[in-house]
Amino acid sequence: MQYVFQFGPILDRWPEFLYGAARTMELTASSAAIGFVIGIAGALGRSFGPPPVRKAIGVYVEIIRNTPLLVQLYFVFFSLPLLGLRLSSDQAAILALSIHLGAYATEILRAGVESIPSGQIEAAKSLGLKRGQIIRHVIVVPAVRAVYPSLTSQFILQLLGTSIVSAIAAEELTAIANNMAMQTFRNFEIYIVIAVIYFVLVRLCDLLFRLFSHVLFRWKT
Amino acid sequence: MTDTRRSLFRRAAGALVGLVALAALPAAARAETTIDDIISRGKLVVAIDTTTPPYGMLDSQMQPTGFDVELAQMIAKTIGVPIEFVTVTSPGRIPALLTDRADMVVSIFSITAPRALQVAFSIPYASQSSVVLAPKSVNIKSAKDLVGLKVGVTRGTGEDGLLTAQAEANPGIEILRFDDYASISQAMLSGQIDAMGGGDYGDIYLKKSAKGDDFELKYVLKTFYFGIGVRKDNLQLLQWLNTFIFTVRQDGTLDALSQKYRKTPLPTLPTF
Repeated sequence: MQYVFQFGPILDRWPEFLYGAARTMELTASSAAIGFVIGIAGALGRSFGPPPVRKAIGVYVEIIRNTPLLVQLYFVFFSLPLLGLRLSSDQAAILALSIHLGAYATEILRAGVESIPSGQIEAAKSLGLKRGQIIRHVIVVPAVRAVYPSLTSQFILQLLGTSIVSAIAAEELTAIANNMAMQTFRNFEIYIVIAVIYFVLVRLCDLLFRLFSHVLFRWKT
Repeated sequence: MTDTRRSLFRRAAGALVGLVALAALPAAARAETTIDDIISRGKLVVAIDTTTPPYGMLDSQMQPTGFDVELAQMIAKTIGVPIEFVTVTSPGRIPALLTDRADMVVSIFSITAPRALQVAFSIPYASQSSVVLAPKSVNIKSAKDLVGLKVGVTRGTGEDGLLTAQAEANPGIEILRFDDYASISQAMLSGQIDAMGGGDYGDIYLKKSAKGDDFELKYVLKTFYFGIGVRKDNLQLLQWLNTFIFTVRQDGTLDALSQKYRKTPLPTLPTF
């Protein structure tokens, strides 16, 4: 393979890459925040809710986990308008990504919730803790701590997964790169540059998560 | 066992370093693919896009068909070898040539000088106008009427460049870039965009849907000429393609193809 690499004209356009990376983080962070809330609610509902709720959450989780993210994106962007819900590209991307992450987070957190021995909850009850205190201190925080590595790797998958939302014309790093590729035809160099940017973003997130874990979980298991 | 693993790792790392070194080599003369190479190899590999009706599409048996596809089949038949199709998207056409995945691209490949820095074009075999399409109910006569509207384009196409320039000149036009023609047509039908840039063939495509008659051509952006793309160093293949296109233009074969797929006669085509 012979190819002359010319990174100069590509790297000169670094503000566009920076904008793309910021958009990627924005999509990831907002969808992760919503997805995490869905996950906590889903896990609690699936473990402690009445049977119809458990069943409904199970259906949601199975539908999302057994269909491609791209199809979910198309559905939200192209099909929901026919039912009367018109979302912009960014809104549709965030909605689809949140619903997607929510299903995985539900399953991950459910595993965490199930790792809490029932004796621990009974002990909390007999100590006179209130319902809210039990859910927060005895179930959710220890459950999150137990599955923290799985949650963070799901977050990173989500970050990388945002690269396909250009299919519904949402702007992020890969979309910016594709636009640039069409203007310069320097696809090879551009994809190398964004691969490096994604790599750095993931490493940074990983570092942040480690710092978080020290703050969030002050005691060791 | 650790030793085996370590040596495996070392070998893999070595291979990786080798690959990177190879990739970084300056361009030496790349072996030219000649007509004789194609004949002795026994097949012609052509990159097509099956989402660009009526030029490239899939028939009811999911086989590629269309103006470009049939032209490519004629080329293979004339050379006397079977054809193999590689499907690409519009942004994937130049990479398909540069990475040796195809001998030629026959896929509404507009001849432009920037593209010709990367690949070589044959003389034009067809032309097509880039136009703005929108529902009949919307009044659009020029770019000024697009202000405040969402306009969908296929990333990297001629329409993308033209409409992006018009959006810069007329602030307020929102350009949404999709990856293929099927997506913008879908966005148009579901009302996610107010207008779209496309070829004048776009009409044919939208008309196939239930709401197809609601759309019409609003104004012409530019006329493009389609050439067959080959790698820059395949000069002999390029010369043969020019000869081939000259002959099918002269004997009416291309005109018949145009009538069959585009329902219009072949326009007068310039030669360079």
